[in-house]
Amino acid sequence: MMSCHSIRPLLPARAEELTLFEARARAEHVATCTRCATEAAAYSRLGQALAAMANLEVEPADGTLEQVLVAIGRRRTAVTTPRVLAAAGASGALLATVVVARAVHHRRQARPARRPARARSGLPSRRLRLPSLPVPTPALARAK
Amino acid sequence: MEVDRELVEAAQAGDRWALEELVRRTHRGVYTCALRLVGNPDDAADVTQDVYLRVVRKLGGFRHEASFSTWLNRVTTNVAMSTLKRRTRRFAVEGAAVPADTRDPAPEPSERAEAVALARRLELLVAELPEGQRQVLVLRDVYGQSTEEVANAMGLTPGAVKVRLFRARERLKAELEAAEGGQVVALAGRRRATGRRS
Repeated sequence: MMSCHSIRPLLPARAEELTLFEARARAEHVATCTRCATEAAAYSRLGQALAAMANLEVEPADGTLEQVLVAIGRRRTAVTTPRVLAAAGASGALLATVVVARAVHHRRQARPARRPARARSGLPSRRLRLPSLPVPTPALARAK
Repeated sequence: MEVDRELVEAAQAGDRWALEELVRRTHRGVYTCALRLVGNPDDAADVTQDVYLRVVRKLGGFRHEASFSTWLNRVTTNVAMSTLKRRTRRFAVEGAAVPADTRDPAPEPSERAEAVALARRLELLVAELPEGQRQVLVLRDVYGQSTEEVANAMGLTPGAVKVRLFRARERLKAELEAAEGGQVVALAGRRRATGRRS
């Protein structure tokens, strides 16, 4: 059996914090040592009292609850407003795009097709093809 | 600070009244947990507010896998630890409030009543523990978090948590015995004398 000195570090631990070996060694020692048994029981009692602390509540200072409620109210507004604004902005942009597109479309349909500037001024279009003329070359000149 | 599931679900669905009712019912517990962790009333009030801001943000993701109070305690722990990392400790022991049991005490066995009475006396002794020991003890022994959860929350190894826990329990028991004239031991001895297992 282990000595009091070896068991003492195990006394404050909860059963689930010990290995199987440690738990068995503690139980065997405590069963035969009154002093360590008293210590173990005191730690157990302390553990129960600490667990009971979870049910004790401190009253916060006046105004704490109100501040929390105001803060979460602001947060909810802050979360909601940008979303609403973003949705409204996207809808507006889409509507504006459709209106402009329709206006441009109507305008194009209402006007006759515009002639190119060069055609209106009487100048030949850059796209007119030149007649194929014989290019004077030294070989051609000799043949003539 | 047990809360009805229906109330939580209503708050999740966007019911503003339900959310405010949830805050009203739980804010004392959150404040108390925060006070035990951060150690001073001003920081505890700030933590309480930050906890509920986070709750508003994360409530939609709560899946009822654990109880709401357990989830709320974890949120409180995380916010308190983040706060402590940002701030230096300004705790004065005299600033610690003596807790009042605000719950309606149902008829309970004398043993439970003794534990509650002892818990009230313990509160001030816990507040006087060194910060690291106090936080580990509060999370593990008061709020029942596992060693691994405490280690994660505090950024420690499980071994370091066990060492702090051992020292905190040992110190607390010694101080309590000194303050109470060995009452813990006496109570435990009486309990053993009645033949019940401890």
